[in-house]
Amino acid sequence: MLVPLVIGMSAPSGLEGGELAAVVARGELVWAADQEGGGPHVFPDPDAPQRLTGFEVELAELIAAELGVKARFQQGQWDRLPLLLGHPADCVINGIELLPERRRDYHCSRPYFAYGLQLIARRDGPLDTVETLTAPGPAGRWRVGVLTGSAAELFLRSHPELEVDAIGYDGTIDSLEQVKSGVLDAALMDDCIFNFYADRFAGLRAVGRPFGGGYYTVLTARDTPRLSTAIDEALGRIIADGRLKTLYDRWDLGGRQQILALRDAAEIPVATRRSLRELAIETLPLLLSAAGMTVLLACLSFPLAIFAGLGVALGRLYGPAWLRPLLTGFVEVVRGTPLMLQLYAIFFLLPKVGLALPALVAAVAGLALNYAAYESEIYRAGLKAVPLGQFEAAVALGMTKWQALRHVVVPQAVRLVMPPVTNDFIALFKDTSVCSVITVIELTKRYSVLALSTGRIVELAVITAILYLAMSWPLSLLSRRFETGQEQRP
Amino acid sequence: MIDIVGLSKARGGTRVLADVSLRAGEREVTAIVGPSGGGKSTLLRCLNGLEAFDAGAVTIGEHRMQPGPPPARVLERVRRDVGMVFQQFNLFPHLSVLENVALGPRVVSRLPRAEAHGMAEAQLARVGMAAFAAARPATLSGGQQQRVAIARALALGPRVMLFDEPTSALDPAMSAEVMETIVSLARGGQTMVVVTHDHAFARRAATQVVELVAGRITRTGPPAAVLGL
Repeated sequence: MLVPLVIGMSAPSGLEGGELAAVVARGELVWAADQEGGGPHVFPDPDAPQRLTGFEVELAELIAAELGVKARFQQGQWDRLPLLLGHPADCVINGIELLPERRRDYHCSRPYFAYGLQLIARRDGPLDTVETLTAPGPAGRWRVGVLTGSAAELFLRSHPELEVDAIGYDGTIDSLEQVKSGVLDAALMDDCIFNFYADRFAGLRAVGRPFGGGYYTVLTARDTPRLSTAIDEALGRIIADGRLKTLYDRWDLGGRQQILALRDAAEIPVATRRSLRELAIETLPLLLSAAGMTVLLACLSFPLAIFAGLGVALGRLYGPAWLRPLLTGFVEVVRGTPLMLQLYAIFFLLPKVGLALPALVAAVAGLALNYAAYESEIYRAGLKAVPLGQFEAAVALGMTKWQALRHVVVPQAVRLVMPPVTNDFIALFKDTSVCSVITVIELTKRYSVLALSTGRIVELAVITAILYLAMSWPLSLLSRRFETGQEQRP
Repeated sequence: MIDIVGLSKARGGTRVLADVSLRAGEREVTAIVGPSGGGKSTLLRCLNGLEAFDAGAVTIGEHRMQPGPPPARVLERVRRDVGMVFQQFNLFPHLSVLENVALGPRVVSRLPRAEAHGMAEAQLARVGMAAFAAARPATLSGGQQQRVAIARALALGPRVMLFDEPTSALDPAMSAEVMETIVSLARGGQTMVVVTHDHAFARRAATQVVELVAGRITRTGPPAAVLGL
């Protein structure tokens, strides 16, 4: 995960000034966005899902046309879009809020859209004003979903006086679904997003007026000044001649109010750059606690995976005939589908049938189930590697089948499979990062959020890599000890 | 004690045992001899249910086994009364010598650990292996391993001991040491059935010898009658 990020950063992002010429020569302006972020920004056309639509799709086309080129879309995960700048994207157009930190780390165009933050809750829920968030809810702190890395998340994190746990999602629709199913108390997002989806979520309502808003900006890399200026000027012309107003009116985004708000936009200050020491002091506690979550996920899920895997292997080899095809089916389905999809199903689909699991429980269950399938195959091989004579000697003593397995066959199989199982534990450590799709903030996710908010991508990558190594190194040693222990045993 | 009547078994269309009948009384030592592939081991394995048979009946003490796979309850009861020693020893490599012998009493007879260990120590002393109680099986010679396997089978106090070519995997010196152990058990009155190629042993210890060729009993009687002098 980290290595490609670091390499991506060091790749050349266009020679000084030559980047505009490169775009023109290529005949394409590559703009990055995340279609999972949803409407009204960028989303698959419901009538033709292979085609993208949204007001930013049209804006990108307008800007590209001003530069005399075509617009080409580049998909990326929303909170990591700026990492695509330079290569493969020329700019990011996707509801990126104009913030002091962004002005420090990237080139930001003039604002092109004004947003407010809107709190959304169930119609029948206890939240009726934004002020309600200052006191604990009926079940303690309010659980509020936000888009990871968004202004909504920053707002909640910078207001510790609110009795709120901000839970980061990769898509805004996911958080609305979770409010609908009762997993979350509310969601906080840009007002235009909820206005766009309000029809689909009839059971939800906007709580109070939008607040704490800001502006969207087009991001370009700091080392592409000519392209940045060209995009900024293009945007100026699109606003001045009324094309942006027409566009917003067509998308029901209030063209007139938007143009007025953009005209009155105050200058956003530029954040100062932190020293390495300040960076470490600020980020290490967050990274360490995220590393703690990684350890927790791995240490809770792996023992479950081992026991379930052994159970599945025993069931397939020695269980009743009706059970064997069921277990084989389980293993094939789990091995044949991505872990991310399984986590998604457990966290987002189970609530639809009335089983809403907390994110941590869903993450542990998903990891345990996934690894149980793989462990079961290792155990199956281990059980088969124990000579039949061992089983016969045990039952010849008068043991039942299960006593023979428990006291004679399984202990030997467990010893045999120790090295591959330890190896899988290391793999699981790293796979915990997938849990970020269901809002569990572990080390990789925390890294990517911090890297973007601080702009110190390389330094934090090194710290994060060291933390991962510190966690997996002892396991590697353990694995090696098992292996040498086995070589010594004749 | 042992009563085998009309035992037949086929495997993959081939007849392995054909109408085998055999009786052995208490304290009797029956040696089964004959060429390899004649069905000796299969016959022995039918006596404790490691293999099922197609026709006939086997009675051991008050337990009676019918054709087909015996029910688990019957098997567990038969096996408590019938100890078995394998050609390849089959000691449990993950346990110490003492634990190998104590496992049966602990798991099958449900004795407390201390009592099972005491019993195991006594059995190890009986086969001259008490000094190796703490060793792992892999550190022992073949002959020593087989003596531990005998102690393991004896620990449950079986009324019948089955030996499946107990010395075939051993060199002559180790073979002699194991045979001494088995002979002394026989002299002590242990009922046993021994599949063996070792005619000298059969002459020394057996009360009756059965020769099995191509799944049929060809000769049976006292050692001198079957094997000559």
